[in-house]
Amino acid sequence: MWKTTARRMTIMVPQIVLLSILVFLLAKAMPGDALTGLLDPSIDPAALDEQRERLGLNNPWYVQYWDWAVKALHGDFGQSFRFKMPVSDLIGQRMTNTVWLSLLTLALTYLIAIPLGIISGRYHDTWADRAITGYTYLGFAAPLFIFALILLWVFGFHLGWFPTEGSVAPGTASGSLAYVMSKIYHILLPALSMALITTVTTVQYLRSEIIDTKQKDFIITARAKGASESRVYNRHILRNSLLPIAAFFGYEITGLIGGTVFIESIFSYPGMGQLFLSSISLRDFSVVTALVLLYGAASILGALLSDTILSFVDPRIRIK
Amino acid sequence: MMKPGWTRSFFMPLLLVFTLMLAACSNDGNTNVTNAPAETEEEAGTTPAEGEESATPAENEKPVADDGLYSIDDFSNVKKNEGEPIKGGSITFGLVSDTPFEGTLNWNFYSGDPDAQVLSWFDEGLLTWDKSYVYTNDGAATYEVSEDGRTFTFTIKDNVNWQDGKPVTAEDWLFAHEVIGNPKYDGPRYDSNFINIVGMKEYHEGKAKTISGIEVLGEKKLKITYVQSTPSLLTGGIWTYPLAKHIFGNMPVEKISSSPEVREKPIGFGPYKVESIVPGESVVYVKNPDYWRGEPSLDKVVLKVINPTTVIQQLESGGVDLVDSFPVNQYPDNADMSNVEYLGTIDRAYTYIGFKLGTWDAKAGKVVPNAKAKMADVNLRKAMWQAVDNDQVGKQFYHGLRWNATTLIPPSHPEYHDSANPGVKFDPEAAKKLLDDAGYKLNGEYRTKPDGSELVINFISMTGDDIAEPLAQYYVQSWKAIGLNVQLEMVEFNTFYDRVGANGEDDPKVDVYQGAWGVGIDVDPAGLYGPEAIYNFPRYQSPEQDKLLAAGISKEAFDVKVRQGIYKEWQQLMVDEIPVFPTLYRAVLVPVNKRILNYAIGDGTGIYLYQLAVSQDKPVVADK
Repeated sequence: MWKTTARRMTIMVPQIVLLSILVFLLAKAMPGDALTGLLDPSIDPAALDEQRERLGLNNPWYVQYWDWAVKALHGDFGQSFRFKMPVSDLIGQRMTNTVWLSLLTLALTYLIAIPLGIISGRYHDTWADRAITGYTYLGFAAPLFIFALILLWVFGFHLGWFPTEGSVAPGTASGSLAYVMSKIYHILLPALSMALITTVTTVQYLRSEIIDTKQKDFIITARAKGASESRVYNRHILRNSLLPIAAFFGYEITGLIGGTVFIESIFSYPGMGQLFLSSISLRDFSVVTALVLLYGAASILGALLSDTILSFVDPRIRIK
Repeated sequence: MMKPGWTRSFFMPLLLVFTLMLAACSNDGNTNVTNAPAETEEEAGTTPAEGEESATPAENEKPVADDGLYSIDDFSNVKKNEGEPIKGGSITFGLVSDTPFEGTLNWNFYSGDPDAQVLSWFDEGLLTWDKSYVYTNDGAATYEVSEDGRTFTFTIKDNVNWQDGKPVTAEDWLFAHEVIGNPKYDGPRYDSNFINIVGMKEYHEGKAKTISGIEVLGEKKLKITYVQSTPSLLTGGIWTYPLAKHIFGNMPVEKISSSPEVREKPIGFGPYKVESIVPGESVVYVKNPDYWRGEPSLDKVVLKVINPTTVIQQLESGGVDLVDSFPVNQYPDNADMSNVEYLGTIDRAYTYIGFKLGTWDAKAGKVVPNAKAKMADVNLRKAMWQAVDNDQVGKQFYHGLRWNATTLIPPSHPEYHDSANPGVKFDPEAAKKLLDDAGYKLNGEYRTKPDGSELVINFISMTGDDIAEPLAQYYVQSWKAIGLNVQLEMVEFNTFYDRVGANGEDDPKVDVYQGAWGVGIDVDPAGLYGPEAIYNFPRYQSPEQDKLLAAGISKEAFDVKVRQGIYKEWQQLMVDEIPVFPTLYRAVLVPVNKRILNYAIGDGTGIYLYQLAVSQDKPVVADK
């Protein structure tokens, strides 16, 4: 098993290098650069050229890539042109916000999915099942960004139960209990709106797994042995049905990162997703490349995590 | 727009740069804050003194719009004071933006408008201006000009102190110039105004240790000598923001903008002090009791970033009292919001259609007109202007909040805008006749060139808000109605300026484009239409224009009457030659909660931020 993991890790390295080259080329292919937005006639174009030269924007792409890659290996992703601060500090600042949002979303997703999936699967074809299935269809159909806007309007503005923007109340001292509470309060609504939508896949998956497992021979055996109904469900069926879901955990993380891009813009929540969008349109390349690389690495790691869990729970997958 | 006008006017060029950027970000689908179809870039220029009357204060309570149309004339730019101010109080200011503010909180380094909004609560320039955008002696410093108009002597008032108690000195002012002139400086301020200081070039190139044109005469006295004296110097040509030497003096120049002294604990000498910052999302200010103009009325100001999609709800619920900007296209649906008063003024901007008449010579750094260009015939250009009904465009697309433009100096500069010049009027029949006479004969549905070959005109316009494409389509149809085959291509902001020639590499396939400029407080248009301006996208040049542009910044032009005459001629020349034609002027509207007192937008209102007060403890909430 460790071998499998080690192997996967080795493959990851060329994957990330390839990804970084691709990202870099795509970023350079976009029209304009960070200085394009500065259409200011009082600034001499020569001064802009000087800046481009200083930022290395005039070099051929492979020179720029090499410079960037060497620095990146040392953990230096350059300076954000727009924020005038090191990209790593900038992303660090935003990442904390995104990580907390994602974690809460993940927790809520499973908190919703597991009970609903179990009820729906165990009592399938009852009213409870139909209601839950109805909800999952709604969830599939509703686009995340519309649903989030509706929740924001209803609970944020109309009822006023939740804050409508930002990650923390202005003026709360960092580190205090009030600060932590304020942070949680601010991520609750965004996390909930994302969890309610993303959870439906898991609910459906769990439901069909349970229904599937219910008919398996070993369940009949278990019943024949005289195991109680709750033992049959909790020990035999649930365990087997949860395995594939646990395996999807890694992919779930990857999906969350994509989802936060929308949620963060809607709730004016300063995380990585929001930073990513604005950096693209302002051609803040150093931030864009670093973020895509980060997203890419997260997806690769997510896949690795999933595979590792799978091989852990299912010995057939391990590579000898 | 939040503060007494002068600060804003000074920075307009840069603010507009950012407008651009905002427009760019909003292309992703969010409501565009600035919602211009073709978004604006800006022109900086700056110039002369101008008296702006701004929008006339309205007598009637609310702009009435039975026909669904509004007019900027019905808005005042000064808040009506209702009720008595209470002692203290705290307000919330909404910074409308779909991205966090960058956090470069120093006038000498910031580059985006959101940062400027954050900055102006706690720091300010040493000079203020009047309605005409001319420096006055009412600010934190006074100035005297020498006989030849090149040497300025400034005296900083004695009670002007940094918020840490240290006095603001002439050394600090010199230090700001030294940092911006340093080759390692990483902000966007080193521009033609700096190069105009004697010795600045040598200093920037490392040939001199000091800037020979700047001299410290005493703790509070500074003398600056400029290379060329122009009327533009008095309208934004002077750098008035000192940099605290006792804080930044020992820091390497390239490290200043990312230092905690800029980003986390910034200080200034403005009416409020920064108490705490949540990076990118909010700032809490408390009053600065030692502010040099006097103690501010409010105890506390909270600034928070709000998304343009939720600005209406925030205003209705009293979540914010003031906003820095407001999407004008949302006004018609919310004109009757009961808890706010809308202030309005004319934007220093115009939308226009440009014609490519030449190319850019990057080596020589100047435009090269091409007499054989497809659009080189002035009759063709004039017919295209006559074919479009911008009055209807303003009414149909913008409810009257944008309106027909006539000349290239917008009415935001009333002293120079020639309101007697009607531009070219909508008259499709005259357009057809003009084309007939000029030899563009109808051949089936479309006209051909005078030599009989096919005429296809390529038109590019920027994507943006919902109106961008229908508006561009309207122009194409109007031109089709007079027999011109115009092919439209909608492109994204960065691509648009690439192809129009912002980098000097003009796309030869572009014949006509729709753009917009925000104009600086100085009217000198050389930065946009001069022969050596890369932003002269039409690549237009003529000896008459060269003469007028030079005259506009000559010594004689210090006389406002003379200068007005020169720019009047220039506006007429542009109407005759039509390298571009203006399409729309626009209004800026800002809603203000009814409890706010002593507030105004626009320039030279004489109302300052420290006077801002409230008439009740809590914001007024809208009746549902």
